[in-house]
Amino acid sequence: MGLTRRLVFGANPRRTAVRVLVLASLSFVTFRWVLIPVRAEGISMLPTYDSGSLKFVNRLAYMSETPARGDIVAIKLAGPHVLYVKRIIALPGERISLSAGQVYINGMPLPEPYVRNKSAWDVPEVTLTTREYFVIGDNRGMRAKDHDFGRVDVSRIAGKVVF
Amino acid sequence: MTHRSVVRIVIAAALVGAAAVAVWRTREGADEKQVRARIEALRDEVNASTKDGLGTAARATQIGSYFTEDAVVDFGGGAVPIQGRVTLMGMAARLQPRTAAFRLELDDVGVEIVPDGNAADVLLTASFVRRIISTGDESRDAREFALVLAKADGIWRISRITAIDTLR
Repeated sequence: MGLTRRLVFGANPRRTAVRVLVLASLSFVTFRWVLIPVRAEGISMLPTYDSGSLKFVNRLAYMSETPARGDIVAIKLAGPHVLYVKRIIALPGERISLSAGQVYINGMPLPEPYVRNKSAWDVPEVTLTTREYFVIGDNRGMRAKDHDFGRVDVSRIAGKVVF
Repeated sequence: MTHRSVVRIVIAAALVGAAAVAVWRTREGADEKQVRARIEALRDEVNASTKDGLGTAARATQIGSYFTEDAVVDFGGGAVPIQGRVTLMGMAARLQPRTAAFRLELDDVGVEIVPDGNAADVLLTASFVRRIISTGDESRDAREFALVLAKADGIWRISRITAIDTLR
């Protein structure tokens, strides 16, 4: 009984209780406000992310820097519990278009090594405002009408997807 | 500072935190609770299959009861908005044999009651979860919607649903 009690509560139960509380508080803060766990559902980010894979969103990633081309970001809908996970391919102020599946930024083709299959998607050229990014999934083999992509306001970017 | 003091401080902080959460959870008003309950009930109605003995017409009528006579549902994407409760009920009846393959989930439901207390603005994320019979996998199509509800005779009904283009 004494050994079991010591194994569970430690030599100093009060100190153990403090440690548990501190650890629980740190975990709560970290996984609720800093590093949000998300489960990727759907095929729009294949082959980079499989459907069902667990990822983390770093909500502090863009506190000291702005989102960059190639970053995979989480995008808020009505709140933080359901997020789109997409890749940034065009930055504020740039012109973007897709022709036969090839992305063009300011008229120049964009190399995309993360894309395996390309269907012949066509998107007329648009110029992004100073607050807009253009995001898209890596799975371009699917039909464009089944794939959510487009311009997004910077305020909707919840963080950078990591791990 | 002794260990005993640290323990007291940590316990006090935890209690204050728990009390703050409790106060925050109970602060929402009665109208807000009613609106949330109404939206959740509509979700349950949509998800219910006809296994409970209700026929398609009865189910469609029940779904229609959540909307005002002149309700407008605009799914966007260039589709013509659905006008009126009767049209909605007709569509619900036609869709019903297929609803068992779908599940509607609602997340991040934000409710704001307008100052006169007879209308509410709601923002939510609706996910249509569909089971792919061949693989058993589920596919999820999440979209953001703005709802306007009106209160008449003490009952909240939806007068407008508008799909929001998160990505434009």
